[in-house]
Amino acid sequence: MNDIEVDSVTKRFEDMVAVDNLSMSVEKGELFGLLGPNGAGKSTLTKMISGRLNPTSGTIKVGKYSIQDDPMKVKELLGVVPQDIVLYDYLNAKENLAFYGRLYGLSGKKLKDRINELLQFTQLDEKAVKRHVSTYSGGMKRRVNIAAALLHEPQVLLLDEPTAGLDPQNKHALWEIIEVLKKQGKTIVLTTHMMDEAEELCDRVAIMDHGKIIALGSPSQLVKKVKMENTITVVPDKTSPSLIEQVKSIASVKNAYAAPDENEKRETIKVITDCPDDILPDVVSTIVNTGTKVLSVQLSRVTLEDVFIMLTGRSLREE
Amino acid sequence: MSLKRSINQIAAIAKTDFLGVIRNKTAIFFTLLFPLFFIVIIGFTFGQSGEADMSRIAVGVVNLDGELVAVNATDSFNSTIGDLFVQGLESANFTVTGYGEYGDRDTNGTAAYAISRGDIDAILVIPANFTETLTFQYTDNFGVPVPIKSHLEVYVDPTDTTGALITQQSVFGFLSAFIKEYQNIAIELVIPDMKAYVEVLADPITVSVSEAEVTEAELQWIDYMVPGTLGLVLIWSGLNHASMTIATERTKGTFQRMVIAPVSPTVVLLGKLISAVTIVYMSAFIMLLSGVLLFQVNLHWNIPVMLLAIFLGALSAIGIGLIISSIAKNEEAANSISVIISVPLQFFIGAFFPLSIMPEAAQAFGNALPFTKLVNAMQDVMTRNLPFDSVIPEMLYLAASGLILFTLGTIAYRIALKRL
Repeated sequence: MNDIEVDSVTKRFEDMVAVDNLSMSVEKGELFGLLGPNGAGKSTLTKMISGRLNPTSGTIKVGKYSIQDDPMKVKELLGVVPQDIVLYDYLNAKENLAFYGRLYGLSGKKLKDRINELLQFTQLDEKAVKRHVSTYSGGMKRRVNIAAALLHEPQVLLLDEPTAGLDPQNKHALWEIIEVLKKQGKTIVLTTHMMDEAEELCDRVAIMDHGKIIALGSPSQLVKKVKMENTITVVPDKTSPSLIEQVKSIASVKNAYAAPDENEKRETIKVITDCPDDILPDVVSTIVNTGTKVLSVQLSRVTLEDVFIMLTGRSLREE
Repeated sequence: MSLKRSINQIAAIAKTDFLGVIRNKTAIFFTLLFPLFFIVIIGFTFGQSGEADMSRIAVGVVNLDGELVAVNATDSFNSTIGDLFVQGLESANFTVTGYGEYGDRDTNGTAAYAISRGDIDAILVIPANFTETLTFQYTDNFGVPVPIKSHLEVYVDPTDTTGALITQQSVFGFLSAFIKEYQNIAIELVIPDMKAYVEVLADPITVSVSEAEVTEAELQWIDYMVPGTLGLVLIWSGLNHASMTIATERTKGTFQRMVIAPVSPTVVLLGKLISAVTIVYMSAFIMLLSGVLLFQVNLHWNIPVMLLAIFLGALSAIGIGLIISSIAKNEEAANSISVIISVPLQFFIGAFFPLSIMPEAAQAFGNALPFTKLVNAMQDVMTRNLPFDSVIPEMLYLAASGLILFTLGTIAYRIALKRL
């Protein structure tokens, strides 16, 4: 069953087509990534799903409701986390959450309990929540920003660049929150242009460009489309044909060969495989067991960035 | 959607909006404390009797009386009345400085030099024959006194037109008192049969000016000013606040987040309206309370009429604010437009200056403003203690303009929603 169905949706702004006859669906409980550079049409699409923009043509359904016909019912089902920190900086976290909770019809004890639950869930400490949001760190603001969208326990979440501007530690903390939400059965649409985020979190990814979806599938499916291979590069203190043969005999190794390094100072062993993470320990132990020292190991994987470059000829981060 | 839920949403929006003002130092100042600051300034400037303090007017006197003058081919140096005149000025509390000559603006020590530097406000030149003319010392060949008028010269500073006007009026006030005194002495010298005729000829019309029985108590300047300041409250608190609220939220993105929640645009608008009206009432309360506590204003408190008039006036102010807020691209633009509109507007509502002294077009513009109607109604009710019946036309005007402007504001707000 699908929680979001976008059918032949087009959005025009005068002469500019932001979303071009786009169709897609997101299954219940799925974490769906929308990947694309700035101006690809991701934000316009999510604005239409959330009811902030009306499509020029086409239909959008969330749950069993059409956003055009039953906008209020759709809004009840949706939790939207905007890219920017959209909080009242003169209120503290509790006051902000109380405000958004009341907009969604919560009040009294139910609202209070829900706020406390979310403050625990987002790991905001009791002292901090009493201070005005303007005094919070970027990570804390992001967490309150997400909590504000969860108050009414929405089935569908639209997360727009939720980790933008965060340091790695805070980014991983937010990823954990998103994974917990997925485990709770939420349907999540994650807009991002961070490759690692999409690969780490998403069940399926749609790559958008010029208002269209140019590729759709799981991250691994998309990666397979690229005519590139994952490579483990091992720098040993010495190489020999027998050593290469032993490496080749490891299960899941498609090929192995000796090649000079970039500076052409040392011989390296290049190992081609579909599952570099799984076989890396076997490759290293096989080489070490022959009495050869391993000086360094480098893993080159095909990423969604490579997929995007292959499809569009430019980087995701290019404007 | 249930009514209870809508009320809960309206209350949440109103509360958050209100906290946005009272937790923001700048907003607090311009919305709530500026009216207080203003009433204190007005009170200390005009709060007392309103009588002019002559010691603030500096008059430079060039007393030529006593200098050599030929009277009937005889040298005369009499300075009696000129000296009396200068003593009179000092007794009337003018700040008097004597100068030997009128001079010119480049010669230090002369009266013209002093007035050109702003050291004095006016120059009075007493002629050399002042005493001789006023004491009828000029005679014809038969020894009969020849009536010759004495001619005083008064110079004021043309660079300060308002100050010059006040100085001129004050000096003329003193002159007429001096002339009256002179007449009284002269009449005493006239033969008894002619005295009554001469008295009438010297002073043919008598005028008495008294305060009409408009109010029961004696009023001070501040008592007239305070009801007028309620019009300013509407402009500062109502118009300025409403013009910023949506523009600020739109800039920060909180408005966008509000409209993706299941909240109707009407609910958002009502929440904003309640907050804005509350702020106007608070501001008015602070203004009136400070008038009472600091200056003991002597007014009549017809609270229901005041509350109604302020509410109706606030609708107009908030309506204009909503239009500004909706057309402005961001909060800075909204702030600029609001200042451009509200600053000149406050001079046309009859709070600072009576509209009657303005040109006809300005009067027509001022009289068309709902804020002027509020000021008029509040002066009638609070100062003149008139009943509600007497302000019904103003109240109807306020209601109609409030309805029209708030409706226009709502339309602008709806259009702005589509641009989000």
